[in-house]
Amino acid sequence: MAFELREGIFAIDEMRNVSIKIGKVIEEAEEWAEEMGPTPKPGIIELRKWDMKLLERYEPFYAPVQDFCNLCTMGPCDLSQNKKGACGIDLKTAKARLVTIACCIGAASHGGHARHLLDHLIEELGEDYPIDLGGNVNVEAPIIRTVVGIRPRTLGDLREAMEWAEKELMRVLHATHIGNEESYLDYESKAMHISMVDHVVMEIADIAQIVAYNMPKAEPNVPLTDTGFGIVDKNKPVIVVVGHNVLYSKPILDYLEEMGRLDDFEIAGLCCTAHDMTRVSGGRAKIFGPISYQLRVIRSGIPDVMISDEQCIRADLLQACKAMGIPLIATSDAAARGLPDASDWPVEKIVNALISGELPGVFLPVPEKVGQVAPLVAEAIFKKHGGNRKYRFFANDEELWNEINKCTQCMSCVFTCPHNLRIDQGMAHAQKTKDLSKLAKLEEQCIACGKCEQACPKNIKIINVIMASNFDRLYNKKGKMRVGRGPIQDTEIRNVGQPIVMGQIPGVIAAVGCVNYPDEAKSLREILEEFVKRRYIVVTSGCHAMTLGMITDEEGQTLYEKTPGDFDAGGLANVGSCVANSHIAGAAIKIANIFAMRPLRGNYAEIADYVLNRVGAVGFSWGPYSHKAAAIATGFNRLGVPVVVGPHGAKYRRAYLGKYFKKEKWWVYDIKTRSKVPIEPAPDALLVAVETKEEAIVQLARLCIRPNDTSLGRQIKLTHYLELSQKYLGKLPDDWHLFVRSEADLPLKMKDELLHILESEYGWKIDWDKKKILEGPIRKYDAGFNPTIVEEVYEKYAGEKPPQ
Amino acid sequence: MAVKKEDKFPVARRYQIADVQVSREATAVKPQVVVNLIKKAKHPVLITGGQLLKDEKLVEIAVKFYEKGIPIIATGGSSKPLIEKGVKPHSVVFTLHQVTQFLLDEEWKGFDEKGNYDLVLFMGFLPYYLSRMLSALKHFSKITTVALEEFYQPHAKFSFTNLTANKDMYYSMLEEIVNNL
Repeated sequence: MAFELREGIFAIDEMRNVSIKIGKVIEEAEEWAEEMGPTPKPGIIELRKWDMKLLERYEPFYAPVQDFCNLCTMGPCDLSQNKKGACGIDLKTAKARLVTIACCIGAASHGGHARHLLDHLIEELGEDYPIDLGGNVNVEAPIIRTVVGIRPRTLGDLREAMEWAEKELMRVLHATHIGNEESYLDYESKAMHISMVDHVVMEIADIAQIVAYNMPKAEPNVPLTDTGFGIVDKNKPVIVVVGHNVLYSKPILDYLEEMGRLDDFEIAGLCCTAHDMTRVSGGRAKIFGPISYQLRVIRSGIPDVMISDEQCIRADLLQACKAMGIPLIATSDAAARGLPDASDWPVEKIVNALISGELPGVFLPVPEKVGQVAPLVAEAIFKKHGGNRKYRFFANDEELWNEINKCTQCMSCVFTCPHNLRIDQGMAHAQKTKDLSKLAKLEEQCIACGKCEQACPKNIKIINVIMASNFDRLYNKKGKMRVGRGPIQDTEIRNVGQPIVMGQIPGVIAAVGCVNYPDEAKSLREILEEFVKRRYIVVTSGCHAMTLGMITDEEGQTLYEKTPGDFDAGGLANVGSCVANSHIAGAAIKIANIFAMRPLRGNYAEIADYVLNRVGAVGFSWGPYSHKAAAIATGFNRLGVPVVVGPHGAKYRRAYLGKYFKKEKWWVYDIKTRSKVPIEPAPDALLVAVETKEEAIVQLARLCIRPNDTSLGRQIKLTHYLELSQKYLGKLPDDWHLFVRSEADLPLKMKDELLHILESEYGWKIDWDKKKILEGPIRKYDAGFNPTIVEEVYEKYAGEKPPQ
Repeated sequence: MAVKKEDKFPVARRYQIADVQVSREATAVKPQVVVNLIKKAKHPVLITGGQLLKDEKLVEIAVKFYEKGIPIIATGGSSKPLIEKGVKPHSVVFTLHQVTQFLLDEEWKGFDEKGNYDLVLFMGFLPYYLSRMLSALKHFSKITTVALEEFYQPHAKFSFTNLTANKDMYYSMLEEIVNNL
C-alpha cells in the first residue's frame, strides 16, 4: 500500500476526532551534500562580528541633511554638533538610525513585492511548481543558499526564505524605535543586516517571476527591445504601465494575445514594470523610458490609459493624469491613490466610469480584470480623439511663448531644483533671442520632478516649457535595450571566475539604480563605454539599463547594439529590473562557490570575506535616489562589494570610507604563511560619492583592486588605473605605489619610469641590474597568498587559532 | 574670527530652499574677510571641485591661489586643467567625500604631513554635493570652512553670498581675494 503525502490537514476514515497535519513534505533524501554553515537564517546578532570588521576598516561617515530630530513628541531636538536629543541619541546615531530606516523601507518594498508575487503565483500554479532556471544554472538562488541555508526547488520552498526575511524586517524595524541602540555602529550593522535581507527578497521575487512567467533564463543573447518616445505608434490606442510589479500588467498582454489583438495596441512602460513586460513578452512590449519620464509621457498626452502599480511612482500621478484626461487604473495596495475599489464591479461598469470621465481613476487590485479593462478603456479613449491627441505639452507655439514671457528671472525655480538648473537663463535667453536651445539643453538634464512649478510665483508650466523646447528630439527619441536576461550562467562563472579572482579580467562594473544623474544622461554611457572597451565585465539593471537603451551614438546605436550580452570581458549584460539586481550579487557569490568551491550553505561571512578580498566587483549608481537603492548598495557592501554613487548619493547621509593613513587597519590573516600581514588599502571604500564622470571612471577602476590579485592581475588593474588617472586627472594617481608589491605588478609599458619614481619620490630601493624592487612595498607578493579577515575562516582552513 | 557688520552681506539665499537647519548658518562674507582668514591660518588649503572642468575662470583663479602659496587638493577631475597650468596639487585621486573623511580625523597629518588643515577653502563644486560635506565638517570638526562658491552654502562657517545672478561679481570677488594675499 502506498501513500502520497501532501501538505494539509487530513481526517482518517472512521476515526472520529482524529486528524493528521502534515506541515512540510521532504520528498527525497537531502541531495545537497553541503554541510550547514555557521549562520543559517541569521538574526541581527549572528553576523554582527563581520559587520564590525567592515566598520572598523570602513568608518561610517555622516553628512546630516537635517541637524534636528522630530520623530517623537519629546522633540523636536537640536542635535547639531553631535548634541544629544531628549531620548539621549546623538546626531551620528540618529543619522545611522535614519539610514537603517531607509534600508528597511527598501527591503520592505522588494519584500512586499516578492510576497505578493509569490502568494499569487503559488495560488495560481501550486506550491510544487518547480524552480527551473535553465540547463546552465545549477546553483540557483545563491543568495538564499548562502544566507538562509536552504536550496529552494519549488515556489513553495521560497516561502521559507520569505518568512525568515519578514521576521528580520520586523526585528530591525523594532530596533529603530525610540530608546534602543546608542551606538551608530550597531545601527550600521542593522542597516547591513536588513540590506542583506533585501538581496534575499529580490532573489525570491525574480526567481518566482522568471519561472512562473517564463522570462529569459540566464540567456546572454536575449532580443533587443525598442525604447524611447519615438517607438510608440501613436495611431494605435496606447496603454502605459508604470511601476515595479508586472503581476498587474502581464494580464493585459495575455488578454490581448488571447483575443488575437496584440498588434492593435501599443503597450509601453516606464521603470521596472516596463523591464519585466519586455521579459514576459519576448520583446513585444516597449519601453518609454526610466522613471524620470513619467511627467514627460503624461503631459505629452500620448497615453490613452495609465496603469500604476508600486514604488517610485509619482505621488501626484492621479492629479497629473486627470489634468490630461488620461484615465488611471491603480492596482497595488501599496498605492491605492484615494480611488474607489472597483474589484467587485463588472468590467463594463469600470470601463464606462473611466471613459465617461465619471471617475478619473479606479483602484483595481485584480490582475485579470486589469487585463480586460485597460484595452477597452484605451480603445474607447482613442476612438474619441481618433489618434489626434489634444496635447503636445502646449496646444500651439503661442501658448508656449506666453509661458516663457511670464518669467521674471526671480530664480525661485533654481533654488528649488535638485540640480540647481539655470532655468532662469534659459527663459531669459529665449525671451531675448527667440532661441529655445538653452531651454532644450535643460531637457537632457531635467528629471521632471516638478518642484520648480511649485516654487514659481507666476505658475509657469516649467516642465512643459522645457519639454516643448526640445520637442522634436524628445518625441522622436528611439533606442534599443537588450531585454533582461536574468541570472548569470554557471558556465559563464566557470569561464570568468579564475580571471576575475586572479585579476586578468580587471573587474566587474555593475551599473544599477535610479535616474538622479548629476549631468546629462549620456554621461552614463560615456563612463560604461570606457570599461567595455577596456574589457571589464559590465552588468546593468533597472533605470540605468533603460537609460543606456536610450543613448545613441553618432551611428545611431546604443551600447547594447555594439556589445555582446555575455557575462564576460567586454560584455554588457542587462540582468533586468530592480529585483534582478540579486543576480549580480548572486554572480559574486557563485564565483566563490563554482570557481573556489567555497560552500554556500548558511555560510555568509566566509563568502563575503572571499568576495571582499578576491572578487574585483564594484557597484555603480550614477543617479541613486530611492530607498531601495540605499538597501541594494548597503547589501552589496555587507557582501564585500564597494559601491560608487553619483553626487546625489551623498544625500543618503552615510558613506563607508577607509583611511589610507590608518595603517593599523589594513591587515589580513594569511592562511598560507600562518601570519597576520599588512596589506595595501584595497579597496579603500565601501561606499563613496563622486562628483564628475571623470572622477567616477577613475574611482571605479581603483576600487577593483583586491589583495588577492596575482602579479599579472595587479599589473593589468594598475595599467588601467594609471592610464585612466593620466587621461582624466592629468597625472599618475597619488596612491599607486601603495598597490605595488613587486616589480611584476608594474604596467609593462611604464615599468622603468615607475621604478625611477619609486626610487626618487618614495625612497624605495631598486636593483637596477635586475630591475627588481628590493625595499619599499607594504608587503611582498606571494603566489600562495590566502587572505581572510575572519578568525573562524582562518581556523577552518589553517586548523589553528589565528595569530595575534 | 569676529566679523564686523560692514564685512557681512545681507542674509543670503540658501542654494536649496528646503535645506533648513536649527543650528548656525554660514556668515556671508566679503572677500577681505577671506583674505584675513587665510593670512591668519596656520595651515590653509584650497580644495577644488569638478566644476573647474566647465569653468576656465575658476581654473585661472585656482592657479593664482596656488601662486600665492595656497596648496591645492584637486578633486572631481579638476587636477587636469590645473596641472596643465603648472599647478602641483597635493592630491588628485581622492574624492571630496574621502578628503572630508580625512579632515574629520584629528590624527590626519594632511597630504603634506604637516598636520591637519585649520582653514579649508572650497571652490568649484556642485552645490548639493558640497553642502553635505560642509554639514559633516560643521557638526563633527572644528575646522574653519569657507565656501568660495556662486551659491551661498549655509553649512560653511563662512560663505560668499548668492552670486548666481551675477557671475561677474563672483569672479571679481575671487580676484579680490587672490590679489590681496
